[in-house]
Amino acid sequence: MPREAEPSLSERTFTLQAISEGLRLDSRKLDQFRPLELSFGDEYGVADVKLGKTRVLAKVSAEVTVPFSDRPFDGIFQITSELGPMVAPSFEVNRPTETEILLARLLEKTIRRSGALDTESLCLIAGQKCWSVRVDLHILSADGNLIDSSCLAVVAALRHFRRPDTSIEGETLTIYTAAEREPVPLSWLHSPFCTTFDFFGEDGEIVLVDTTWLEEQLRVGSVTFSLNKHGEICQISKLGGKPVEATLIIQCAQMALAKSKEFTDLVDARLAEDAKRRDKGGLMAELSAENER
Amino acid sequence: MPLDTSTYSLALLRIDGRRWNDLRRLHAQIHTQDAADGSSYLEMGHTKVMCVVTGPAEPQAGQKKGTVGSAQATGQKEGASIVVNVVVAGFSSVDRKRRGRNDRRIQEMEITIQKALAANLHTHLFPHSTITVSLHVLSQDGSLLAALINATTLAVIDAGIPMTDYITACTAGSTSSYAAGDDAADPLLDLNTQEEQELPYLTVGTLGDSDKVAVLVCESRVQVSRLEGMLVVGVDGCKQVRRLLDGIVKQKGRKMIKEGAVRRSDMMAVSLDD
Amino acid sequence: MANQQTLLSPAELAYLHSSLSLSPPIRPDGRTAKQFRPLTAETGILPGTNGSARVCLADGTEAIVGVKAEIEKTVDPLGGEHYQEYVKSASGAGGGDAEEDKRGARGEWLEMTVEIPGLRDDDAGTVFLAELLREALLADGEFAKKLWINRRFHWRLYLDIILISPPLSYPLPLLSLTTHLALLSTRLPRLKSEGDEDPMFDDDWEASPFLYPRQGAAAGSRPPITLLVVAVGDSILFDPSKEELAVADSALAVSLCEVRTQKGDESMEVDSGRELRLVSMRTVDPPSRLTPPGVPSTGNFAASGTFDPSSQKKQQQQQQRVEEYPQEGVWKAPLGGTRFAVLDSIIRAVLEKGGVADEVLDGLEGVDLS
Repeated sequence: MPREAEPSLSERTFTLQAISEGLRLDSRKLDQFRPLELSFGDEYGVADVKLGKTRVLAKVSAEVTVPFSDRPFDGIFQITSELGPMVAPSFEVNRPTETEILLARLLEKTIRRSGALDTESLCLIAGQKCWSVRVDLHILSADGNLIDSSCLAVVAALRHFRRPDTSIEGETLTIYTAAEREPVPLSWLHSPFCTTFDFFGEDGEIVLVDTTWLEEQLRVGSVTFSLNKHGEICQISKLGGKPVEATLIIQCAQMALAKSKEFTDLVDARLAEDAKRRDKGGLMAELSAENER
Repeated sequence: MPLDTSTYSLALLRIDGRRWNDLRRLHAQIHTQDAADGSSYLEMGHTKVMCVVTGPAEPQAGQKKGTVGSAQATGQKEGASIVVNVVVAGFSSVDRKRRGRNDRRIQEMEITIQKALAANLHTHLFPHSTITVSLHVLSQDGSLLAALINATTLAVIDAGIPMTDYITACTAGSTSSYAAGDDAADPLLDLNTQEEQELPYLTVGTLGDSDKVAVLVCESRVQVSRLEGMLVVGVDGCKQVRRLLDGIVKQKGRKMIKEGAVRRSDMMAVSLDD
Repeated sequence: MANQQTLLSPAELAYLHSSLSLSPPIRPDGRTAKQFRPLTAETGILPGTNGSARVCLADGTEAIVGVKAEIEKTVDPLGGEHYQEYVKSASGAGGGDAEEDKRGARGEWLEMTVEIPGLRDDDAGTVFLAELLREALLADGEFAKKLWINRRFHWRLYLDIILISPPLSYPLPLLSLTTHLALLSTRLPRLKSEGDEDPMFDDDWEASPFLYPRQGAAAGSRPPITLLVVAVGDSILFDPSKEELAVADSALAVSLCEVRTQKGDESMEVDSGRELRLVSMRTVDPPSRLTPPGVPSTGNFAASGTFDPSSQKKQQQQQQRVEEYPQEGVWKAPLGGTRFAVLDSIIRAVLEKGGVADEVLDGLEGVDLS
């Protein structure tokens, strides 16, 4: 099994020493994110997030299927992510690593379990037809902070996505092509965003956000908060690692809230820009109003 | 909501008759198993778990590398690696549900316990070896992760693996999930399944008697303003749990001295501590 | 069984083998050939299950078995419509004969899983173990009938077997004894409804009957037990320890069950009229086959220090001869199958009146069923 290269001893000592003095290798402040770029594809439902050298692409697709027999009134919504050898040689196909399991679990908890997407709205005919929305997450390049960037990409892609419009007359279901009727956005309830805090130092008293791959290797612990802009926590996970003071956790939660609001504004702004870019006819102008949440 | 929160605000008693800061009955035994290096059995209310620790031992060739789901300590070649296996018995819940080993929820718990141990155990004393922790869930009624962590701590103590302090865990919840300004919402300690399904809650694990949080897992939607209250109650609960576990360990120690299982020099240390 | 290789040297293996082949055999723990190690057992440990049991063997291995039951609609294998007719005609004939209907009971109503820590659940060894236990339980066809409720419903029984300790020796006897006890302590709610209506049950757990009726009016078969028996040379050893298993020429899993017959009044005598039936038997691949062979001192160059390149060929021949002809005191992994006479004597020893199986069953009967 190929292993990830570990940072050398001198690299390790140097970086940790710098961090303890409040300096980072890329001259950022400890609580500063790398420049975040969010762009949308030509198609609906494609979001590309660049965070420094980390790059994540999310693609949303929808098809009509039969709902699960135990929940006939719900549509199907799933997020799949795979870390392949393209990212780093230590990732193998079909052998989920710890990173991959945790990433999948986190997205599941943040977006699916918190009810960000109204799955009941995906139901077309109870027990017979429903939309199955699927998000494929592709990690193109990993340089730390995969969780935050992946979550942002998935949320942005889902909010950008438009599914074909449908109508039901009696027993017949009609699905319209984009030419016939303007596609409609998903029924989106709230936008949760992840913020990961990494702890450094003897007692985990130094807090960093948006760590690079190198910093991630050297951290003693981390905590990920998922919040929406209304201040609702969707998920917190501090899975082991060095114990840190409870007060520090509370501080992190407040910082995460501020960060989440920032992310919300960013996604809103980009969506508005994208809508303007697409606005060829008069119809899109109406639809873009829906994006202002 | 089957759990009637209005009754709570009237009588301030929960469905099982506890007050907000009451733990459920915690019963534990250590050294339940002769064949293992360390073992424990722990009950928190109706949640029952068993833990068996093997090691530190020579890593078994070809066993660990390919096992998907067993959490592997990475990046610490110098110390012992820790492997955690959680087996949830099919008969543990009310409706029989079979969980495969590749269930992500279980894998996440394995990773959590493994990482919490890795930061707490003095693994550097046992280079090139493996500590295997097998956890068996016999019955679940809420606070599962907390019970697993507590059982692991006891079993690791029984195995005699040096560690900085106890890692103890418990859950804390809040009686109301929404409305940030709702001051009437009380925090609750040590939730059972029914409460876990209805109310927002978090699992917190702390190190020793300090306020240091080793594990914090929250999977439900809750206002950020509630976090502090829940966390404080949770950390306090952990301290109560620690006192209980400490009592169990000391009691066992005393018993071992009486039975003559411990040498005299060790005896001194324990009686001083007492 | 590949994961439990014993770390014994060829010399130790040879010593063990020769002392076990003596008559009477000398076992490392001083037991006689037919003696079982003591075990502790308790039942009814998990109130959330229909039946449960925990057994600890003397070597520290421990297992827990939990039984859960669910009601399931019986699906007719011949297709729905036919089945409807069948039900109608049967009920038309005054409800039909229950015994007749019970023939529809099927073994698949029992689901069995074995969990061994450190092994995947689809590991070949685990699946084999589960199948061995399942086979013994279903062999006489009586068991599935107990799960029959009426023509439309049946119980689905889930048997989850968990090995708590690391797998030190072959866990088959342990798991089988635990399963036996768990099944004896299993209770199903008392049926209140009659005939083919939707089943209704009595809420009172105290009133619930046991799956295997208690003593007294006890007729019919009891849950089987599976014993592991090994043959070393000419001796037959029961309840082999890990070391004994490592030198076994052959290992056999013998499942037997006790059938109690309705006795008349004259059975008031103390005579324990226990009838044992052999249910199934399987050979188990003993780990001894994987042990490395010993090298006789004549072929050991390192020890004699007389390595001569010119005589290499001669020594190679010698080596070959060693592999072909076993030498006294030099360990050689057993090859080939088991002689029929050995099998025969094993079965005789198991089924012998007042023998090992009787002893084990007596011991298990002493366990308080709660």
